[in-house]
Amino acid sequence: MGELAVATAPEDELMTIGLGSCIGVAVVDRAKSVAALAHVMLPDASAVANAPAGKFADTAIPALIEESERAGARRVRLEAILVGGAQMFEVGVGSTLDIGARNATAVLEALARARVPVRAQETGGRRGRTMRVHVGAMTVTVKEAGGREVELWSGSPSPRRSAEAIHR
Amino acid sequence: MSAPNYTDLQLDAMRELANIGSGNAATALASMLGKEVELSVPRALALPLADAVDAVGPAEKTVSSVVLPIFGEIDALVLLLFPTEDAATLCSLLGVEAGTEVGDSAIGEIGNILGTSYINALASMANLAIEPRPPHVVTDMLGAIVASLLSQTVGETDSALVLDTGLAVADVQCELSFLLLPTTGGIAELLGRLGVGS
Repeated sequence: MGELAVATAPEDELMTIGLGSCIGVAVVDRAKSVAALAHVMLPDASAVANAPAGKFADTAIPALIEESERAGARRVRLEAILVGGAQMFEVGVGSTLDIGARNATAVLEALARARVPVRAQETGGRRGRTMRVHVGAMTVTVKEAGGREVELWSGSPSPRRSAEAIHR
Repeated sequence: MSAPNYTDLQLDAMRELANIGSGNAATALASMLGKEVELSVPRALALPLADAVDAVGPAEKTVSSVVLPIFGEIDALVLLLFPTEDAATLCSLLGVEAGTEVGDSAIGEIGNILGTSYINALASMANLAIEPRPPHVVTDMLGAIVASLLSQTVGETDSALVLDTGLAVADVQCELSFLLLPTTGGIAELLGRLGVGS
């Protein structure tokens, strides 16, 4: 929870197991084969100092972009995929009901502010999910409890990549 | 990430609380089933939030759960976790079919009775006015359940305190974990009431 990771090797796989109200946000640059994944737990960090980078939606998106760029991604090519944000329980404590929906809204707003387009999204509902980002194949898969793994997004090699290669 | 700082004395006091609470719950379960119920030594887990789910169990394992919110002088969630097969065993001991509406309702009622026994013991030991809300039953991945609940209780802080006890019904394969997840304010209040506040 709250973590953030980047991968660039084709054999790498980024994974977050058991997303309930939390959201897994992946940011990828297909041409450079860079993928970053954050496990967002809550919508905003305004009240909190020194939080882990991936924990809050408003800080996680800039951190994802920065880490991707550091790993060689180009900002203009970044695309996002998000999974999670379920409302698993109708009961709770405090004013914290339906954190899942608020997380999804906050992540989408932060991505829009950063001008990163969302390519695929599986959010809401009542079920927990596991999300995997396969760096080599550039695919994102989702699995629910007791279900089978389903492909949510497939980023076939970007046409821009070959255009760039020809230019050089 | 800041590691939570509790003294050994504070953790001992919390373990004792869990021990008495789950002892009371075990007695209730035993009389309901007419079978002996064994109790494990409780754990008081004070952990960075990122490690809390893994400490409870394998995140991807499918489990049945009952959540009972506690309101009053402290806010907390009581969480019962059963391996799905063990929840089925429990249903058959009660003469209902698992995975049906009646089965879920029976599991919820067991959660209600055990959770209420637990918090009654807690209330009298720590001299707290608290009461439970109706239970909610969910079968899903352990990680998704625990993380969603921790978001509610201690989400804004970096550490969690989880009190965890195991209950096992004699003669059959039926084990369950009993967890208390206090809110951040609830932890401080509990420690204060137990006379080991900081």
